Amino acid sequence: MSIALIALCILWLALIAYAVLGGADFGAGIWDLFAVGRRRHRQRQLINQAIGPVWEANHVWLIFLIVGLFTVFPSAFAEFCIALFVPLTIVLVGIVLRGAAFIFRTHELDVTNRVADLWSRIFSITSLITPFFLGASAAAVASGQLVVSNGTAQTDFGSAWFSPFAVTIGLMAVSLCASLAAVYLTLEASLAHEPDLAESYRMRALIAGAITALLGALGLLLSPRFAPQLWDGIFARALPVVIATMLIGLATAALLFWRRYRLARIMIILETAFLLGSWGLSQYPYLIPPHVTIDNAANDPNVILALVISIAIGMALLLPSLYYLFSVFKFSIPVPGAARGEEEKEKATEG
Amino acid sequence: MSNLLAARAQMGTSLAFHIIFAALGVGLPLLMCIAEGLALKYRDPNWMLLTRRWAKAAAILFAIGAVSGTILSFELGLLWPTYTKFAGSVVGLPFALEGFAFFLEAIFLGLYLYGWDKLSPRAHWLCSFPIWISGLASAWFIVSVNSWMNTPAGFVFKHGQVVDINPWQAMLNPSTPYETIHMMLSCYVATGFGVAAVYAFAMLRGKRSDYYWKALRLALAMGAIAIPLQIISGDANARFLFSAQPAKLAAMEGVFHTTSGAPLTIGGWADPATGQVYYAIEIPHGLSFLATGDPNATVKGLDAFPRNDWPIIEATHFSFDAMVGCGFFALFIGLLFWLFAWRKKRAWQENRWMLIGIMLAGLFSFAAIEFGWMVTEFGRQPWVIVGYLRTADAVTTAPGLNISFLLFSLVYLLLSYALIRLLLRLARSPFPPIKLPWSDVPFEGGPQKAGV
Repeated sequence: MSIALIALCILWLALIAYAVLGGADFGAGIWDLFAVGRRRHRQRQLINQAIGPVWEANHVWLIFLIVGLFTVFPSAFAEFCIALFVPLTIVLVGIVLRGAAFIFRTHELDVTNRVADLWSRIFSITSLITPFFLGASAAAVASGQLVVSNGTAQTDFGSAWFSPFAVTIGLMAVSLCASLAAVYLTLEASLAHEPDLAESYRMRALIAGAITALLGALGLLLSPRFAPQLWDGIFARALPVVIATMLIGLATAALLFWRRYRLARIMIILETAFLLGSWGLSQYPYLIPPHVTIDNAANDPNVILALVISIAIGMALLLPSLYYLFSVFKFSIPVPGAARGEEEKEKATEG
Repeated sequence: MSNLLAARAQMGTSLAFHIIFAALGVGLPLLMCIAEGLALKYRDPNWMLLTRRWAKAAAILFAIGAVSGTILSFELGLLWPTYTKFAGSVVGLPFALEGFAFFLEAIFLGLYLYGWDKLSPRAHWLCSFPIWISGLASAWFIVSVNSWMNTPAGFVFKHGQVVDINPWQAMLNPSTPYETIHMMLSCYVATGFGVAAVYAFAMLRGKRSDYYWKALRLALAMGAIAIPLQIISGDANARFLFSAQPAKLAAMEGVFHTTSGAPLTIGGWADPATGQVYYAIEIPHGLSFLATGDPNATVKGLDAFPRNDWPIIEATHFSFDAMVGCGFFALFIGLLFWLFAWRKKRAWQENRWMLIGIMLAGLFSFAAIEFGWMVTEFGRQPWVIVGYLRTADAVTTAPGLNISFLLFSLVYLLLSYALIRLLLRLARSPFPPIKLPWSDVPFEGGPQKAGV
């Protein structure tokens, strides 16, 4: 196994982390658009509480991916940037406005006013657009249509990233983000003793999951025509993983149906991981089919080794910190330094 | 506008915007860390109120810093793919390490900003340390990349290929110690004087309670400690440039002709067409003395370099003098304030003109960062990687960069407007009741007359 492949596997794990964490933050933004009626304010508060402490950290996975990609595969990165100039520019504006709009509306929310509503709208719309173009860009890469003429990248104006296949995958990315967020929010609402909200998010999770499955099936049907190499790759290497993805998807739906929210959360994370894994396996060994491969785009092995060592050291600091962050805000696991709850405090004063 | 100019304009705007938030992202967490530490030590509600206020502002400022930094990381590839291909293979490592530092900063910032009720007071305070430490580390890593662009190292360029790469040597290139320290100190100078300016303004409007006085003094202490160090560091940078990047130094100082006993040219307008600096003050032998310690030393002028390797001289010279001027103004204000403190002249410290001076020093400190950044960027032209890759050869082949520049300019205008509006509202909003760690009763009513 070459060092470039090891590095790529690490980057793929980072991609999965970004999808299940950052993707869910986009999903929360999408649901914010559907927050209407009497419960609107409560729904928005739940979304703010859910993503407020973690969205910046979740976003860094994307930065990590970008710098990793251009360190490990500098020439391929340059070609991505030229070929996908248009969708990536849209993604960038989306990411910027999403983050800014979230923070602006959170700090305006204490006073419900029109400006806060406007920022909420921008937050939702950019949360919808960004995963769409990320998904479409990924599909354009997978389709093998992006860099065709003798391997020199040209800016693509939609023939690759706006094909029926790419649009389907873009929409699937949106609905996957929405499903992830809905599953997480179902659990968070039920933990916050908001049964009505939990029920409505459970319903939404089921619907979004079904839409994701349909779009996934449509994407598969379109791929022999629009992404032939990917289609061949699925049958050559990825079929077991694709089938596993489908089964896990069904299991997620079943667990939601039986209201086993914690397990459903684990399952949908697994589903996303398997989905991205099956893409990676189908496309192997190409970074940008049909010319750019892992080997011919890889940087000097010394540099990649230095990076992998740095990542190992960095992770030793990062993972415990992430664990601490999520323990304090998401899992309510007792950790050192956590404030004593009110009940404990009462006990202490009584004692 | 040509594609090249549009790309440069977009990159320049993005850097100018981001650097403000980057500087605050390094400086503000240290202020919060000290203020919260003082609050816990002296059980002082005013320090705690200040920490809370700063944390609220930090939540907004850091989010804007995170998204504007994201713009830059994308733009490296979107606007300069050829640069990224070259730089990625050699200095990808510090970028990745900066990513880790940013990650830690974001994690502990989340804990800090949202953890007031979820963490014990001590754990909460401890969470502020990784924020300012990783902020500082981020600055170091990212500026080490810029240093590498000025003095490339750690690779061999053979037959158009980059080979024999040593990423550690690239990161620790000759400029790194000079540039990184200068940037890190500038963050403390700008945040210190910048925050002080806010409270000087409040005091000018008649708000003179202990709360404002504490904030003013803490911020000015940080600024006043950093600014003399910054001037020493600036001097070291200039001496380094004398040997490492003589063309840049010549552009900064407006030296067109190689001269022994070169004068120091202050101000004026350097005109590359005529090779003259108009309306400048000259201090005889000044430059030779500052750059080498020997008043008669020879300083290379621009005539020692081919014309097409000249930096953008007008802008470099102007930005350099503007940076130095701003820096010395801040030094003067900082020294004056603490001189009055030492002489126990509180009335002079709170004098109207002193406060106006502090406000100006705040503005000028941020201006100094912008000018300093322009010195390094304009002074490096026409290269993006000195000696290896010209800026004109690094730009993307993607068309329509005008539209992209326009789009991002609009985004920056929108963000600036919304940010200023929100920060002003925050400054005017009443103090919400807070829970003090040493008391069970919620603390209401805002700042106290004097420390408790």
